[in-house]
Amino acid sequence: MDIQLKILRFNPERDKQPYFQDFNVKNVSDDWRLLDVLHEIKGNYDGSLTFRRSCAHGICGSDGMKVNGKNKLACALLLKDINTKKTIVIEPLPSLPIIKDLVVDMSSFFSKYEVVKPYLITNSPPPPNHERIQSNEDAEKLFESAKCILCACCTTSCPSTWTNDNYIGPAAMLRAYRYINDTRDEGGDERLDILDTPDGIWRCHTIFNCIEACPKEINITWHISQLKKKLSSREM
Amino acid sequence: MENDTNSGNTYHKIKTFDQKNWVSENLNYKKDSGSRAWILHRISGIALVAYLFLHIYSISPLTQGEVAFNNKMQTYSSPFFMVVEWFLFAFVLFHALNGIRIVIVDWADGAKYHKQLYRLSWVFGVILFLAMGAIMFAHELKNLF
Repeated sequence: MDIQLKILRFNPERDKQPYFQDFNVKNVSDDWRLLDVLHEIKGNYDGSLTFRRSCAHGICGSDGMKVNGKNKLACALLLKDINTKKTIVIEPLPSLPIIKDLVVDMSSFFSKYEVVKPYLITNSPPPPNHERIQSNEDAEKLFESAKCILCACCTTSCPSTWTNDNYIGPAAMLRAYRYINDTRDEGGDERLDILDTPDGIWRCHTIFNCIEACPKEINITWHISQLKKKLSSREM
Repeated sequence: MENDTNSGNTYHKIKTFDQKNWVSENLNYKKDSGSRAWILHRISGIALVAYLFLHIYSISPLTQGEVAFNNKMQTYSSPFFMVVEWFLFAFVLFHALNGIRIVIVDWADGAKYHKQLYRLSWVFGVILFLAMGAIMFAHELKNLF
């Protein structure tokens, strides 16, 4: 089958404004991923089309983009799951600066991620004869939040991010949950202090765009609500 | 772009396009039940604040005595204002029911079934809206049948 695409293009050396370019891609099959279509365009239609991708299997999280008005991972999106009768509109992730075509500058996203201290914090000395042990049950509680691949689909889909540059965002809060609820970690209070700031967790208005965007189907808002509960019970 | 080959942090020197525009983003991003509820909650909240000012204005003839007040109230009991008040009740209803939904989302694991809660608040809202209409327009309805 043939499909129509509209892709937002921007070349920093030539363009002042991004513009849409139309592509008519022939002989695609509905078991293709959207990423395969982008490869097809880059290989056979327009070699200058620029996008990020690395593993192409939904693990590295580098090909997040806005597809038909919603953030998606191009490698985790089959053509049969999109309405191919209509033109498919592809744009870069919202609100982040565009470097070229579908490639955005993720530095602000990662600096917010670093703010919540995404590593194990311990004050007590390690046990002498073995590693810090975590039970299977305790590990299971973290599985959903640890699935995050940092593709930035959630943070850039959030209306709070669009209006507030400093808002910490769902991805960073999810990672905070993952460490705060880790039984081996001792930096929970430190992280809760960071979340309990004007640009922190209280800017989450439970809009649920993050859940709709997450390619890993993580219920991010539920994790944030658990952190909100933890924070308010700390005050009591 | 020749800066790229240098070692050290030259990343910020790359020319980028700032696409930040919260108005167009809010208009263009595809909406689901959660974002619809959020937008309606904002609109109904602003409408209720606006109504508060209107309310203060409408009872202000109280300062001019009983007759002036009663005259003013006469205009507000016209069918047009009755319908306006009925829709004002709709705003109150949405804001209240969605407020309960948000409390359930934040405090009672409601994030796991937020879509069902959204639908449920609409069902309750429509029932209560119609019930209020039946009470408000009982006299007119009686004349009709």
